[in-house]
Amino acid sequence: MIWQRYRNELIVAAALLFALSAWFYKHSKRTEMAQSNQQMAKEFSLLKETVSLKKIWGDKQIGRKVDGLKNLVNPSKMVWQKKGRKLHMTLHDLTASEVNRVVTRLLNIPVQVQKLKSEKTGNTYSMEIVCKW
Amino acid sequence: MVHRAMPTVTGMEGRVDVMVTPQFYTLKREELQVRFAHQAQKIAPSLFDGLLETPAKHDYFVYREDESWVFIAYNPKEIAVFLESRGIAPQQVAKLFFAQQAREHFTVPVPLGEKEALAVIGQTVTVVPRAVLHEEQWGTFDETFRPNKGVSFGATGASLLTRTQAFSLAAIFFLFGTIWVAEGWRYGRTNTTLQSKLETYYTTYPSLQSAYTRDSIAAKYRKIDKAERKKREIVGKIAGMLFKGVTLKSFEMDEKSFRAVFEAVDTRTLKRLEGLVKASGIVQKQRKTGTTMTIEGQV
Repeated sequence: MIWQRYRNELIVAAALLFALSAWFYKHSKRTEMAQSNQQMAKEFSLLKETVSLKKIWGDKQIGRKVDGLKNLVNPSKMVWQKKGRKLHMTLHDLTASEVNRVVTRLLNIPVQVQKLKSEKTGNTYSMEIVCKW
Repeated sequence: MVHRAMPTVTGMEGRVDVMVTPQFYTLKREELQVRFAHQAQKIAPSLFDGLLETPAKHDYFVYREDESWVFIAYNPKEIAVFLESRGIAPQQVAKLFFAQQAREHFTVPVPLGEKEALAVIGQTVTVVPRAVLHEEQWGTFDETFRPNKGVSFGATGASLLTRTQAFSLAAIFFLFGTIWVAEGWRYGRTNTTLQSKLETYYTTYPSLQSAYTRDSIAAKYRKIDKAERKKREIVGKIAGMLFKGVTLKSFEMDEKSFRAVFEAVDTRTLKRLEGLVKASGIVQKQRKTGTTMTIEGQV
């Protein structure tokens, strides 16, 4: 009989309960969406970073670019040892501008420099370069 | 039949329909050019202007009788209080009817207790003293008097809200609830733009679909990128320390450290070089011998 007595209040209470549930549903969905978007944005950013890093450091053309170092100085001043994805190069009797040219070109190629050595003897320079990719 | 002189009812259970006598309502009959009951219902309060003591507390019931509209004004609270005083809980009342609705059944007067009776006088059901009626035959109030249409009454008595208020509030809450559910559903859909960009990337680089592979590749290249950028920065800064009067005697860099030896033409130039070395921020050790300066640092 109670429900008969307070039928109007019960109708309002049921509608209010529905509205409150709907509000909580909306709120939870909004939070869920924000979290999902944040997660997706993070994943996307990491993916973008990975792809761009891979493009730079995993480039298949690096070997060809490294070969370009051969043409920078006279072959008589150079000992060239390239094995697979590793280069060992020694240079001697270089002028300052040649050193500059070799270093600039080398550092513009995405290789991992393992050793870079330069020494001035008299008016000339000798160099040793070890790198891999 | 509920009337003022009725005795108290005892032991009544379940729900009942009640019919009230004119003692509980005010009646007006009007011939109006109104087609529908809801239109007539709207004008009902204005018809009783000045007739009711407390118009705000009254509800109105309207129905058509022949060519006229019958308007009944009643006070639900007053009826509820009276019912309660006679042992009938208002919430037990399912439907409330008005004696006027059963006019055609009052072909003979129906007695209300010992002193009064209900009779039709000029198309209106009225309470009259039995003394003025000299009837030999009295009618009996029974199920045949039940009209088709009545007022839902049950909750009126104890309720804090009227039926209209309750339905208005419920409609508002329901409307908001529906809007919020729709919004929630909309939020439930993910960011399709970002999702499609991700899918494009995964199609181009299927190996990166696995989070483990992706993290491992990222960590590997990130480490290389950081170290190589640092090496290039060091070479750039060393080159920046060379100016007229300074020569780089030797330079050596491996994967962990670097060492550079500079030769200056005089101490003044060396001092200037020292300033540049300090500003570079890459040098951990610095040593001077005459006009020669050796610097060392970590990659």
